[in-house]
Amino acid sequence: MKNNEATIDRNQKMKSAGAARTRSMTLIYVFLILGGILMVFPFVWMILTSLKTNAEAMMIPPTFFPVAASFASFTEALTSLPFPRLYWNTALLIIFRVLCAVAFSSMAGFAFAKLEFKGKNILFSLVLIQMMLPSQIFIIPQYKMLAAMGMTNTIFALVFPGLVSAFGTFFLRQAYLGIPDEIIEAAYLDGCNTWQVFTRVLFPLTKGPVAAISIFTAVFAYTDLMWPLIANTDLNMMTLSSGLSTLNGQFTTNYPVLMAGSLLSMLPMVILYLVFQKQFIEGIAMTGGK
Amino acid sequence: MKKKSKINSGASWGYAFIAPTIIGLCALNIWPFIETIILSFSKAHKFGAATFTGLDNYVRMFSSMEFWQATWNSVYFCILTVPVGVFLALLVAIMLNSRIKAKMTFRAIYFLPMVVAPAAVAMVWKWLFNANYGIINVVFHAHIDWLTNPNLAIVSCAIVAIWSAIGYDAVLLLSGLQNVPKSLYEAASLDGASKLQQFFHITLPMTSPTLFVVIIMRLMASLKVYDLLYMMISESNPALLNTQSLMYLFYRESFVIGNKGYGSAIVIWTVFLIGAVTALQFWGQKKWVNYDV
Amino acid sequence: MKKKMKYLGILAVVVAAILMFAGCSQSGSGSSSGSSDGQTNLTFAIWDKGQKDGMEAIAKAYMEKHPNVKIEVQVTDWSEYWTKLEANVNSNTLPDIFWMHTNEILEYADAGILADVSDIVDTSHFSDASLSNAKGSDGKLYGVPKDKDSIGLVYNKELFDQAGVAYPNESWTWDDIVSASQKIYDKTGKYGYMAYADEQLGYWNFVYQAGGYILSPDKTKGGFDQPATKKAMAFYTGLQKYDWCPDQNYFAENSPGDSFFSGKGAMYLEGSWNMLAECENYPEMNGKWDVAVLPKCPDPVSGDGRATVTNGLTYATAAKGKNREAAMDFLKFLGSEEGQRIQGESGAAIPAYKGLEDTWVNVFKNKGYQLDAQKFIDMLAYGVPGPNSISRPAWKTEVNAELLQIYSGAQTLDQGLAHMQTLINQASAEK
Repeated sequence: MKNNEATIDRNQKMKSAGAARTRSMTLIYVFLILGGILMVFPFVWMILTSLKTNAEAMMIPPTFFPVAASFASFTEALTSLPFPRLYWNTALLIIFRVLCAVAFSSMAGFAFAKLEFKGKNILFSLVLIQMMLPSQIFIIPQYKMLAAMGMTNTIFALVFPGLVSAFGTFFLRQAYLGIPDEIIEAAYLDGCNTWQVFTRVLFPLTKGPVAAISIFTAVFAYTDLMWPLIANTDLNMMTLSSGLSTLNGQFTTNYPVLMAGSLLSMLPMVILYLVFQKQFIEGIAMTGGK
Repeated sequence: MKKKSKINSGASWGYAFIAPTIIGLCALNIWPFIETIILSFSKAHKFGAATFTGLDNYVRMFSSMEFWQATWNSVYFCILTVPVGVFLALLVAIMLNSRIKAKMTFRAIYFLPMVVAPAAVAMVWKWLFNANYGIINVVFHAHIDWLTNPNLAIVSCAIVAIWSAIGYDAVLLLSGLQNVPKSLYEAASLDGASKLQQFFHITLPMTSPTLFVVIIMRLMASLKVYDLLYMMISESNPALLNTQSLMYLFYRESFVIGNKGYGSAIVIWTVFLIGAVTALQFWGQKKWVNYDV
Repeated sequence: MKKKMKYLGILAVVVAAILMFAGCSQSGSGSSSGSSDGQTNLTFAIWDKGQKDGMEAIAKAYMEKHPNVKIEVQVTDWSEYWTKLEANVNSNTLPDIFWMHTNEILEYADAGILADVSDIVDTSHFSDASLSNAKGSDGKLYGVPKDKDSIGLVYNKELFDQAGVAYPNESWTWDDIVSASQKIYDKTGKYGYMAYADEQLGYWNFVYQAGGYILSPDKTKGGFDQPATKKAMAFYTGLQKYDWCPDQNYFAENSPGDSFFSGKGAMYLEGSWNMLAECENYPEMNGKWDVAVLPKCPDPVSGDGRATVTNGLTYATAAKGKNREAAMDFLKFLGSEEGQRIQGESGAAIPAYKGLEDTWVNVFKNKGYQLDAQKFIDMLAYGVPGPNSISRPAWKTEVNAELLQIYSGAQTLDQGLAHMQTLINQASAEK
């Protein structure tokens, strides 16, 4: 008898919990969809603009749908810019910056979080200082260095400012701080030296944050406009974002072409993100955290 | 409570690990910073030698109404964007982490603003906010001067900033959320804890390190804001005085007018401001950021 | 599994490093200026994509005569052009030939960055206005005059027809602009003359028409205390009070050009440099709009009431450039009859070279654009060089801010003008 009551009780609790969960799930869907529309709207606008003529795109008040949709702007964008080269340059830029950021920042993040050495805090404050500085003050000094090395107009030039990542160091330090010391001690007891502790035990535990930093660095590199423009003068050595900016006339910009160009640039990034996502985030789910 | 790490690996390992990063930072970033500091005490034009002028730039700066207004604009912008932005990003991250269907699609959607070209972003939002023909005013039958009302322009820009940043921040926060073992939530549910209680007692503490980073980053970025304002507010906009940030002022002084010394002083002040805010955050982290697992 | 990952990782890094340095040599043709095997590579920097074809045509003609020289035209967006040039100066990597603007030429010339080109320019072919755009503060020529421009009154014929108002002509005065605008507004509900707070495309023209000036001839004082200037400013800022003129809030978000071509307003002031692009961008408007000479001041304090602001770009090269000789030779070509003619024929801009203006006007005819571009040339007869001095960057923005405050009513006209005057005087004294 008592068992039955307990069962009924628990069944009722689970039913109301189930109802509550459905309610909260609906709420979540509503919020995500509304927010999603807001996120996507400008993107939709870009697509519609790219299909219009320039006159239509600049119309006051703006029209929503194009009168006669045409892909002319895409053709013009494709012929105005050497897209294959721009993709390649941007890809190399991103790959190198991500590799550097992940490698150097993981090492530094680990060291700042888990190792003891003199002057640690002062050196870490250098990382913080970099994050506080506005990037405009770096451009001319960095360009001077690059020119002195004779490395302008190269892929190296594009990567140069991103050889090290202060934010990456900061972010990964947080990740390493969250790893319990017991794991490290256990690894030492197993006979690992510090490098092995880092590469075999700790680094693999930071897959999630590393993925986040990779995405973050990739996007930052991709949207960087001012630096690639200044470092590389040859259009063939530019990135997507800086190459796009050359489409701006001084007084009149052909907006449909600019939008078409922007869309062509965005596509690979979105695909890249989805691929990255699957690799790392689902990898986490399987290892199940700690 | 931070436990003293029992790792005794010798200081050389530590230095070796941080060497690439620190060397890079010094060469690429710290050196220009020192140059800026020196420049802030000089008078220099675009080309030509700088002459030492002591505190002149700072005196001029601190007695400028425009400068103080810009300082307030930057701080105000920070207040507008950081709490709301981070909160929304956390909400989005939590939702994207829950048991919804079409997770990939939603994540891709929220990621989109991160890769849309800034020129396109500005163009679209300027149209949305356009006082005479913008969609917002048309739909709500209003005539609000979103971008030209001195009190409102900065708010409109803040909205765009939050919109752009939600994707970034959500991605970072997601990585923190995913480190929280599901077993904790299950145990809490069985114990009868409500979703809200679970949020405050499990989610928040366990993602606090990541949350801390995101907050710091947003604070710094909002105090340094320039590109967004430059694209949304034109030079002939009546609301410019009440919207221009410190970095906007810096850019004008250093690159347009060519007054590099004065511009550098503005940079140093901005860095000081950011430093103060950051220091506050670091001091405060002891109260709410939890590194223990 | 982990070992495999490690080796893969190392492999990736090695491959990547190779690729990165391979990127150096693959950097495309003529990306770095220099000479090899007797071949000289020159870089030619500009900021307007719309003129790229024209510049490349000139380069092509030169390269045909000099087969051992290769010139590459590089476009950098206006908003980044100057930062980039500055970075180039600081690292001694200036492009071989680059466009120079009156806003910046004094700064560059006075700092000794630009090469003195007095020897390669035949000044008899260029007007005083063109030459003054190319001079440093010391009066020497530091650039080869490239083009000249003027400001005209662009009007919408359809709106005029609808309101039954005669098109603007040479006899028009300031009063005509006001009355026509009113009639058009009453009949069609559209804006008349869209007067926005711009200098070159706005009040400067009116100030000089009234016989005033913005900057004194010796460039030490402003002209806002002159009665003629005050008269013009009172007129111009007063236009906003009419219903047919949008307020500055409107202009902050909607440019007069966009409004005009969307049929929202009947008239506005436009520069000759935008004409071709606008014809190309709005083909449906062909024949429905035209350009007239600027209306004159009916009662100027001095002069005949006619003026238009004229400006011009110059070609320049670095004083200490690596390929100085080759660059100077190309510069000479750019300032020659042939070089200027090609520029005009491409429709890029009105050549600065005297006598070649027709080449530009003919482009409109040849392309079937029904625009009386000749009017821009006619106005050059009374063109006034835009006020410029080495201190102008210092007061430009602030004077504009004062103007906006006059418009918003935050200060009276007299207060604003007095502030502007002080700003200019102070800045000029400092430099």
